[in-house]
Amino acid sequence: MGINKVISINKEVLGLNRRNQEYVRPYNSSSSKAIADNKILTKRILRKELIQTPEVYKLIRTKKQLEFLDWNSLPKSFVIKPNKGTGGNGIIVFYGKEKGKLSWIRPNGTTMSQRDIILHIENILEGRFSMGSKNDIAIIEERIKTDSLLKQYSYKGVPDIRVICFNQVPIMAMLRLPTKLSNGTANLHSGAICTGIDIETGITTYSMHMNGAVFQSDTYELIDSTLDLTQNLQLSGIQIPYWNEMLEIALKCQRASGLGYIGVDIAIDAEKGPVVFEINARPGLGIQVANQAGLRWRLEKVKDIEIKGLKHGIRVAKNLFGGEIEENIEAISGRKVVNIIEKIYIFDKNTNITKISNFKDIKKEQVKAFMDTGVLTSRIDSKLANRIGFINTHKEFTKLNIPKRFETFKEAQDYIDRNEVEACKIDGIKRLAKIVEEGVIKVRPVFDIPIKISDKIRMTEFVSTENVDSIYPITIGRSDLSGYLIDTSNTF
Amino acid sequence: MFETSKLTEWLLSHGISQMVLELLIAMCIVATIVSIARYLVGSKTYGIFAPILLAIAYSYTGLKYGLAITLVVILTSLLSYSVLKKIRMHYITRIATNYTILSITLILFFVLIDQFGLGLENMSNIPPLAFISIATLSDFFIKQFVKKSLPSSLMSLFGTVVVAIVGWFVISREIISDYALNNLWIVPLLTAINILLGLFKGLRFKDYLRFRFTSREDGNK
Repeated sequence: MGINKVISINKEVLGLNRRNQEYVRPYNSSSSKAIADNKILTKRILRKELIQTPEVYKLIRTKKQLEFLDWNSLPKSFVIKPNKGTGGNGIIVFYGKEKGKLSWIRPNGTTMSQRDIILHIENILEGRFSMGSKNDIAIIEERIKTDSLLKQYSYKGVPDIRVICFNQVPIMAMLRLPTKLSNGTANLHSGAICTGIDIETGITTYSMHMNGAVFQSDTYELIDSTLDLTQNLQLSGIQIPYWNEMLEIALKCQRASGLGYIGVDIAIDAEKGPVVFEINARPGLGIQVANQAGLRWRLEKVKDIEIKGLKHGIRVAKNLFGGEIEENIEAISGRKVVNIIEKIYIFDKNTNITKISNFKDIKKEQVKAFMDTGVLTSRIDSKLANRIGFINTHKEFTKLNIPKRFETFKEAQDYIDRNEVEACKIDGIKRLAKIVEEGVIKVRPVFDIPIKISDKIRMTEFVSTENVDSIYPITIGRSDLSGYLIDTSNTF
Repeated sequence: MFETSKLTEWLLSHGISQMVLELLIAMCIVATIVSIARYLVGSKTYGIFAPILLAIAYSYTGLKYGLAITLVVILTSLLSYSVLKKIRMHYITRIATNYTILSITLILFFVLIDQFGLGLENMSNIPPLAFISIATLSDFFIKQFVKKSLPSSLMSLFGTVVVAIVGWFVISREIISDYALNNLWIVPLLTAINILLGLFKGLRFKDYLRFRFTSREDGNK
């Protein structure tokens, strides 16, 4: 690992020390943490915000209650979990009941008798799985029936989506897929797959899997497809259902719990849609590996923004952190994605692009450009061209007394062939071009103008136009769009 | 080796034995090593108490004997707990049973060494308290095994033993313990180091390994 890499990781990544010092302690009060650490309390608080959580069948607080539990009143499939458990410990899922017996079937096919379950619940009550080993409450609740789309990517258990929010902005998200190794749980440390999600589109990006070797735990390897299914499937490009709704739910959880820095775990039930599993006051940092992006930079970016509501928070997140999927497309296809209306920078006439070392100090103008595959050469409104230094060029061009209209393209081309050399003597004119403008065939000058589009500075040929009806001062044509994919869903 | 400081002399003449003073300083040193290991390196240990206890116990048993006892304690705990897991019984009784089995194994271990030596002939000279201190590691090991998983507990065990070995190495150097005994300003210095470590927000060494994939320059957006 080179020094540059170390510096870059240090700048971008959020470590445990900083998470605790800068985010968990100052932004998560003790009372808010107490809500997150208590599943019953969490359910109660979230219900007030009309957020769905798994339905509770029974709460067992004492051994006496356990003794009098009516086992026949329980549905065939259910989940037992400790109220104050951590890291998924002590959670047992039952898929069904053995016919004619008081024993229930687990995801791996084994069964647990009533006596075994009682013993497990007694262990929960004694605090075996709870924070600080204090006495606890056992929750018997509804088993989520996974949505059919995500079901095909996971081994038995329930996949869930974790969204980290800070200052009412969704910061980062990942999908956790249970594997055979994780024994059907979505716990990354047990071997579940984590997949990054583009916050803008809700489409999965990179996938990681924690190294199996004990002493390499906490280190990950990049994977492309699911690991131990009968038919392994490509993990990138999955559109998470209910994406916008999920971002809203995550923000509502943050508002309800009062946690400034929160991790919200949401599962998708086949019938109910998004259901919040739990909220976390100290969400793990593995999400950064899944997204191959650091949390630190993102958190600092939204720290001082005043968020006016849920929709505003989501919009901020999408604008600031979206676009992962576009970069992914670039990585796969070698092409960059540009919006149909993209903001570009246009530089002054005599800017030497080879000497642009400090972008900030260079005179430039930001304009909206329309990506138009219907025209070949890019076009610039003559008024804009005048502003960036072509005013004299236009004056000289007018003196050429070129006819205002041509009847045919051939006639225009003949004119160009005869007069181009003369026209090119004017400073700034590269060549002449024939164009159709407002239904009229015209001959116009072509300039070389440096622009910055999608992080690339390049010299571009522009035909100067006089179309007063055009909304956009710049049109980028086919000859400058090779190497780009146009996203028609986004405009700025 | 070092001239006795006035403060040390005063303390020794006012009811504090040299052994207690040495132990207290050793505790401060090992506690700081645990802090460094946790917040700068990122190693997992069974809290702070286990590595301190283990490092001090090793300083009494010697590393060879200490590690041998640790190995017996862990293997016995692992084996007995794996067997006991199959029996339906309450959690605390299972841990208690584990301790009784551990005692029997340790007695057998003593007998075995007496009979065959195994390069550990001086085992009988080890102070019993140091011996018991290492045996309590079983509790930490089993608790994490039960609450989390075997790999997780083994990871913490590895971290605890490594930190304890480093701690043992530092506190058993005569030059260090002598120097510390006669330069008690080291104790407030260690306090200050711990406070600074407590305020440290940077990445731990392990974070660099863990997040080496996180390399896209999205900070430039």
